[in-house]
Order: sequence, then C-alpha cells, then structure tokens
Amino acid sequence: MTDLSDEEAVQKAYLVDSFPCGAFVTNQAKTILYANAYFSDTLHWDINQLLGSSLDTLFTLSSKIFYESYVVPTLLHQNQLDEMQLIIMNGKQERLPVTLNARFDQNGLIYWTFFDATKRDKLYQELISSREQLQAQAQKLSALATTDELTGLLNRREINRIAEIAIEQTKRSQNQIVLMMVDIDFFKNINDTWGHQEGDRVLKELGALLNKSGRKTDYVARFGGEEFLIILSDSNKAEAELFAKRLHTLIATVIVNQLSVTASIGVTLSDGQKSYETLCHEADTALYEAKDNGRNQTHFYA
Amino acid sequence: MLLKSEVVKRNNVNVIGSGEKTVLLAHGFGCDQNMWRFIVPELSKHYRIVLFDFVGSGQSDVSQYDIQKYSSLEGYAQDIVDVLDALEFEDVTVVGHSVGSIIALLACIKRPELFSNVAMVCPSPCFLNLPPDYFGGFAKEDLEELLNLMDKNYIGWAEYLAPLVMGVNNQSALIGELSDSFCSTDPIVAKNFAKATFFSDYRGSLKALTHDTLIFQSKHDSLAATTIGEFMDSELPSSSLKVIDAEGHCLHMTHPNEIINPLIKFITND
Repeated sequence: MTDLSDEEAVQKAYLVDSFPCGAFVTNQAKTILYANAYFSDTLHWDINQLLGSSLDTLFTLSSKIFYESYVVPTLLHQNQLDEMQLIIMNGKQERLPVTLNARFDQNGLIYWTFFDATKRDKLYQELISSREQLQAQAQKLSALATTDELTGLLNRREINRIAEIAIEQTKRSQNQIVLMMVDIDFFKNINDTWGHQEGDRVLKELGALLNKSGRKTDYVARFGGEEFLIILSDSNKAEAELFAKRLHTLIATVIVNQLSVTASIGVTLSDGQKSYETLCHEADTALYEAKDNGRNQTHFYA
Repeated sequence: MLLKSEVVKRNNVNVIGSGEKTVLLAHGFGCDQNMWRFIVPELSKHYRIVLFDFVGSGQSDVSQYDIQKYSSLEGYAQDIVDVLDALEFEDVTVVGHSVGSIIALLACIKRPELFSNVAMVCPSPCFLNLPPDYFGGFAKEDLEELLNLMDKNYIGWAEYLAPLVMGVNNQSALIGELSDSFCSTDPIVAKNFAKATFFSDYRGSLKALTHDTLIFQSKHDSLAATTIGEFMDSELPSSSLKVIDAEGHCLHMTHPNEIINPLIKFITND
C-alpha cells in the first residue's frame, strides 16, 4: 500500500477502509455486495463470508422488522434515511447498537454507513427512564393534588376547578347543571359517641357509595368535614329529584350502632348563567332548609 | 353506556355501504381504518361496513386515551363492544387484522350475542417463543429489543411506517403506495399498544371462541409463521384455515384480490 500515491489510494477505494465507521452496500434482495474493513478490523467479521450473504446475517430480528416496516418505505419515499438506530450482530454474535444512515441510488442499491452507538444508547436509555419516572411522578402528584385522602373522592380544590368548566359548558347546552350539597346528619354525635375512627369509617363508606352512584359525567367531592358536593352536568330537575331519592336510600345502607345513617341534601339548578359562588350559596341555603325541616330530606332552592 | 355521538367521535366511526349484513373491520397495530381501503369498495357493495380507529390510533380522540385501560388487549376489545352497542348493531361479522383479530376474539368472548362470525387476517395469539410447546417466533429478548428500538427511534414514528410488516419482496411501488398514507401515531401510545400486542398470550382464550372463524395466513410472514395459523386452527372450536401464497403480514393490502372472494363467501354463508 505504501507504494501507492494518495490519489491512487483514493481511486482504489482503500480510503474507505481507513475510516473508523462501518460502510456497506446492499441490493434490494438484501444481499450484501460490499463491506469495508471496519467489519473485519472492529466487528470481527470475515468479510469474504459476509459478501453475498443476506442482510439478515447482520441484522437482529427486531432490526429486520424495522427494516421492513420503516427503512424500506422511508428509502422509497425519500431516497435516504438519517440517524436510524438499529442493532447489528458482530462476528462473535454479540449485539451492538449502531446509528445508521442510508442512501438509495437509482439502480436500487442501498449505501449504508454507521457508527457504534453504545454510549449514545446508554444516554438515550437514561433519558427514557427519566421521562418515564417524571410521568409516573406527575401522575402521582396530580392524583394527590386532586383527591381527598380519606374518601378517594375529588377534593375541594378540584371540584372548584371542575365546576367552573362545567358551568361554562352548560351555557352552550340545552340542559341544566345541578349542584347538590350533602351533609351527614348528627355527624358530631357519631364522632363523640363512637370515636373518630368510626366517623372516618362512615365517611369512607359513604364516599365509596357516592362515587358509584353517579354517571361517568357526574362529579363527587368531599367538600368539608362531613359535607359532600355533587355536580350533575347536563341534567334537569326531574333527574335531580330521582338522584336525591336514590342517595337517601344509599346513605341508609351505612349503619352505625344498628341504625341507618341519614343525610340532608340541598339542591340548586342553573342554566349556566349563575356563578359558581352563587350556586354554592344557594345549595347551602337549601341544605339548611332541609336541616331545619327535620333532616333526612332533600330541599330544592327556590 | 356511552352515547352514540361520544363513541363515534372517540373511535372515529364511519358506517358505509348497505346490506342486511353488517361487517366491522378492526385494524391492527401501527395503522388505522385506512388499511382496509383495498377491500372496502368491494365489501361495501354487499354489506353495511363499520370502520373505526382504536383509541390512540388514526383519527381517534386521543384525549380519551387511558394508558392503564389500553395496556391490555381487553381495553381495545371494549372499544369494539362500545362501537356496536352505540350503533345498536348485532349479528355482526368482525374482520380483524393481526392483533385486531385477537382483540375481535376477546370482544366475541365478552359479548357473544353481538357477533355472528369472525375472520382473522394474519393473527397470532402469542408472539413469544415458549419452548418446548409453542414458538411464536420471538425470543423475549427480541421483543424487548423491538420495543427499545421504538423508543430510540422516537421521531421516526411520525413519518413513514409500513403497516407491520409488509414483506420487502413485494414490489417497491406497492410498498411505497401502502406506506404513503401512514397514520401518524403518538409514540407513547404506539409503544403501549406494541407492548400489549407483543407481550400478550391469548392462546388460552382460543378454545372459548364459539363463533365460526376463518383464518387467512400468509405463507411467508416474518411476524406469524404458518405453524401459528395451524396452531390456531387446531385450537379454535369452529375454524378453517386458508393459506395464501404471499409474502408479508398484510394480506388485505398486498393481496386483496386473493382474500376478497373467500371472505365474502364466509360472511354470506354465515
């Protein structure tokens, strides 16, 4: 080789053997027509054995699938492919991540170059793990920020946020939005007589019942100590009456000292023109009417 | 139950053609209802055709995507049930491609009264090799590597992707055409679907399918060998197997003329 001039060396394509990256040529039948010395020097292949064999010798099964479903269509559309990461086999049958570029010529030959991407692959892996961790954390945090810990219902902050959106949507619909304030009767007595643990059990049980009671589009929140707020979007008075009746029956299935728990309910409706603050106030007023009238009943704001 | 309008929007449902019989087409991984375009013109002459996209694919409403729900094929089967419930269609022939066939199978087991029979194009109940009795074609290592490559080639997924897997020895013009209308897929969604597809094992569900089943199998398919078609045919209580001399995993796109007549015969004989 030493007796060749630089120019001659280029002409005889020895140069491509000196680059520290892989270069090879395949045809559309996936036959390897050329492979540079990188294959023998670094990848431990016997080049003579490689020439004439199928690309499948070099590609792992997953790379083969990518070749068929992605590489070929991309080459057909764009004539070239950049920065594709695949896994190839070296001569010792070890898997090696590589970043490939490929170009398609008019005769249907594919010219490939690639470099070892082991370190880059590790970096990508770290990035992907971080992304997954962040997503999981974000999901957890968002659940924490929107859920009441004891009952698993929406918390007050979240229902406040949702209510504003639901009121906006009501303005554009034919139907009404219903706000129901549900308050357990004599809850203080339960706590004082049977202890806070018993009180918590009642809240938990009731929370689970309320959560199952509504439609997918209804929202149920623990609004305060023993107070729950339910929003029925896209509803009307008849539905609200029926729903309240069902709630009283459901609530009665929670038992303390062999007696059914009862609750009072205050309800208000709107076509979306009233503010959330007003609606809360109205539901609250109706709730106190229900309490004043002897509890264990529903009162509609009028 | 979901409202009709909600499901139609969520799953990008399109009902075309007319006929006494209804046929629902369930696409596979990495594509959407467009992949049926080579057989729909003929089918819609005879039947009412229901086309839809699974949530997360094609023009479905991605805001309805639930990573938990759609991490198993049962979640996708619920999409099929929801579509038919919303449209109030019964006695339906369901045609599935690849994993779409297995999803159809799960829907049939869940709500048998909705369906009359099932046609499957290149199905596989399990892609994993589970020696010594079953060879789905892939070592666990291969499938993990496949998902890994999906992650590492993140950007590429939004461009060209021939519906997995076309078969490279088909004419390049055909491959070009077929990959032309690639349905852009959110990479996270695609990966979740891929996981549910490639790591599932529904061999145990095959015996529970009571409906008549027609299996189309490609002779040279890098995702499902002919032995898999034979396995399914032997496990399914009431099935027949038709092997097409073809390459690739998308017979309904690469060889529509070979499958259309047997398919119509199967649907009509019911």
